[in-house]
Amino acid sequence: MKTSRMLGLVMIAPAAIMILLFFLMPVVLTGVFSMTNMTTATGISGGAYQIAPHSLNDLKSAMPEIAEQMSQPRYTIDEVGLKAVEGLGLDPGIATELRAKHMGEVFPSRREVERMIKGLDQRPSTPDVKKISEQFNRSVVNSRFSSKEELFSVLDTLGFTLTDGQKNSVADVTYTGWNWTTENFSRIVSSPDMARVLFNTLLYVALVLVLFNTTYAMLLAIWTHYMPSAPATIFRSIWLLPRITPVVIYVLMWKWLAWDTGFISVLMGKFGYEPKNYMLDNAYNAWVFVVLINGFIGASMGMLVFSSALKAIPKSQFFASEVDGASRWQQIRYIILPQMRWPILFVTCYQTLSLLASFNEILLSTRGGPGKATEVWSLAAYHTALNNYAGNLEYGLGAAMALVLVVIGIVLSLGYLRIFNYGTLVSRPLIED
Amino acid sequence: MNILPTLKCMTVAAAMLASTSVLAYAKDITISVWSGGTGPNDTYRLDAIEIAAQQLEREAAIRGEDLKIKVEKTPYSDWESFKQALTLAAEAKKAPNIVATGHEDIGPWSQAGLIVPIEDYVDLDSWPLNDIYENLMEIASFNGVVYGIPQDAESRPMFFWKPHMKAIGYSDADLDALPQKIQDGGYTMANVLEDAKKMQDKGLVQPGYGFYPRTSNGPDYWQFYTSFGGTMEEDGKLVFDKAAMTRAYQFFADAVKDGVTKKNHIGMPGDQWWKEVATGKAGIWHGGTWHYARLVKQEGLTNFFDNVVFSLMPAGEGGKANTLTHPLVYLLTSGHEKEDTEIAAQLIKIASEPRINVLHAVKSAHLGISKAESEIDLYSSDRWAREATERLLPFANAMPNNADFGTYWNIMWKGLEASWTGAKTVEASIGDVEAELKSTLGDKIIIR
Repeated sequence: MKTSRMLGLVMIAPAAIMILLFFLMPVVLTGVFSMTNMTTATGISGGAYQIAPHSLNDLKSAMPEIAEQMSQPRYTIDEVGLKAVEGLGLDPGIATELRAKHMGEVFPSRREVERMIKGLDQRPSTPDVKKISEQFNRSVVNSRFSSKEELFSVLDTLGFTLTDGQKNSVADVTYTGWNWTTENFSRIVSSPDMARVLFNTLLYVALVLVLFNTTYAMLLAIWTHYMPSAPATIFRSIWLLPRITPVVIYVLMWKWLAWDTGFISVLMGKFGYEPKNYMLDNAYNAWVFVVLINGFIGASMGMLVFSSALKAIPKSQFFASEVDGASRWQQIRYIILPQMRWPILFVTCYQTLSLLASFNEILLSTRGGPGKATEVWSLAAYHTALNNYAGNLEYGLGAAMALVLVVIGIVLSLGYLRIFNYGTLVSRPLIED
Repeated sequence: MNILPTLKCMTVAAAMLASTSVLAYAKDITISVWSGGTGPNDTYRLDAIEIAAQQLEREAAIRGEDLKIKVEKTPYSDWESFKQALTLAAEAKKAPNIVATGHEDIGPWSQAGLIVPIEDYVDLDSWPLNDIYENLMEIASFNGVVYGIPQDAESRPMFFWKPHMKAIGYSDADLDALPQKIQDGGYTMANVLEDAKKMQDKGLVQPGYGFYPRTSNGPDYWQFYTSFGGTMEEDGKLVFDKAAMTRAYQFFADAVKDGVTKKNHIGMPGDQWWKEVATGKAGIWHGGTWHYARLVKQEGLTNFFDNVVFSLMPAGEGGKANTLTHPLVYLLTSGHEKEDTEIAAQLIKIASEPRINVLHAVKSAHLGISKAESEIDLYSSDRWAREATERLLPFANAMPNNADFGTYWNIMWKGLEASWTGAKTVEASIGDVEAELKSTLGDKIIIR
């Protein structure tokens, strides 16, 4: 028994590792990212310490004297630097000339000290000029340090006497990386745009789910149930086409339909209407298209599930009801629907989650427009975290948005299970007791 | 006599030694370069680096080095996927050696340590870098450090369809004088809406085509803010001028209210827009200097100057006529071998040579980056390059290099979209923008 359990664990290990890496880790990482202020500017893998002019500005209010000292000119020709230049293995005349002619001079910028170096009798090559100028750098402005300790030790060698508290404030304002924060969530809660996007999402999920993924799918299943089998199969196959067509091509066909020069425009042109982009003409139109594009894909899935569930209903029940004189409607109401609770729960639950997370059709068709009219939560999260014209990708905020989606999904699933009374659906059949 | 074999031996040995020393010098280096917003007219953004590589190989050969440089070029036609690919590649330590991108990326990318300053590798006082326009070099700098070398320059003019302008009463002389009139403030944003309306009322263009702006987010929209008196940055701090932004938003809300711009204009297919502005379906529109190349070469508007007048963006209330230059810059990314980055820096320097850069400028209808470039025949004999340089470049502003500008930009655009589409009133949009700026940028932005 024990060995077979062990064997079972070993057998499942590769799959478990996969699940851990590709299913669990992304969610965990999303959770971690959502608690940070990570952006393109902070980077993901951690930051450095850089005393840039803007961080000096921040320091000015807290410790004006130190900020002033730090912003002092950076290049000084001194003995330490000259010794270092001698150690570079360059022409010895360079150090000699520097010592003789330029000792004690101070230059405000790298460019100026390099101009002086280029003016030496032994004009060094550009890479050497860079090497020499670096030896006289006596300031921390714009230098980048990978750790606090490195920053502090350089500050020490440059003669800054700072208390531990001051050191930490310097480290805080000069840190370029991300910090832990819960600000993303407060931004989501307080932003009116987020509320709008949330509303869009609910509207989108509700419309597609109710109109197509369940109701229309059920209608298709029932229609084909009462059809002769050959036409029913053909009919079902046709409804599968939107699902099996590559989504890019499928959406492109919708765009062709709706463009200024597309089918609808040409058709309406015959009645004297100006051609226009019907899909993006206004928010209302955009919504109609978004719902249709997604609904046509979604209906086929429900249709398949419901059709097979219908097949599982014993034929005798239909025959018996017909003997009793039941109408079609009565058959649907009293035989079919009561036995469809489980498939309906499954489709509702599954499609809610997939609609919440899906944005590819919207991205391809309206890109969330016109304006932000059809921007749904997952699309907004994608735009925030990964695709943004201004180039400042906000990983932290995007992750927080994605996390909200995960929570909504879990809450909704639990809600469905309760509404459809999952407990009784999976209870042991009485007959086997 | 028997010394001969020994001599022979020595010669052979010396030759072998020499060949190994040559072999030791032989260097094979691969330099990868990516560029964003690179369509068929902009291929010299990448090709210039390749030409520079040939030149550097020759220079190395003269010094006795056997240097072989392979340039791997990756163009991205749009910006969003380019920036996504690059930032993610850089995070994964797979960034290309050189990247040609908008200067506004310098702020966030340098903070993130994705790029290294080019001034650490090249002598800025040497040719051709010392001839590049000073203001462009400033745009390529951040925190007082020169990070990149300008790859091109441009300006974003207002365009007027001449036949329609004539039909609403402008004479040829009026049209010739229009750019100057706009520069002097005699023709303003209010006149743009007025004329657009006149064109529509006369039936010259369809409703919503009088003023036909860019269909997507872009730096262009900051020009309207500037036109209405706004400032983007002051002393290293971002500035949100509420009154100016209100007037800019109001301009678009008014355009929609007057029916001269479509409410759902943003997000319409780009190809359709190009076709329409090239065929006189639109009355007045705005774009960039590089639009000339596309209009003439791809859209078939060969008699451009007979049909189109271009000018600065007219002044609005509280502002001045202006234009925006959004230079692309060559940047060096971090995380490579020092030697490779040195070569990459040399390539950028050589690619900035006027003779090489002019190929890009003229082919793509961008503007030159240096004084010498404007004196090259190819450039000076090109009517577009010459006129656009004179008329626009002296009045060009640029977006600030500030790590937080992208966030400001997104919020500003969201507000503009909301007031444009009527999702919110202008006042409500401004209120929301202000609230979001305060909550996201705090004291990094001056709100007034």
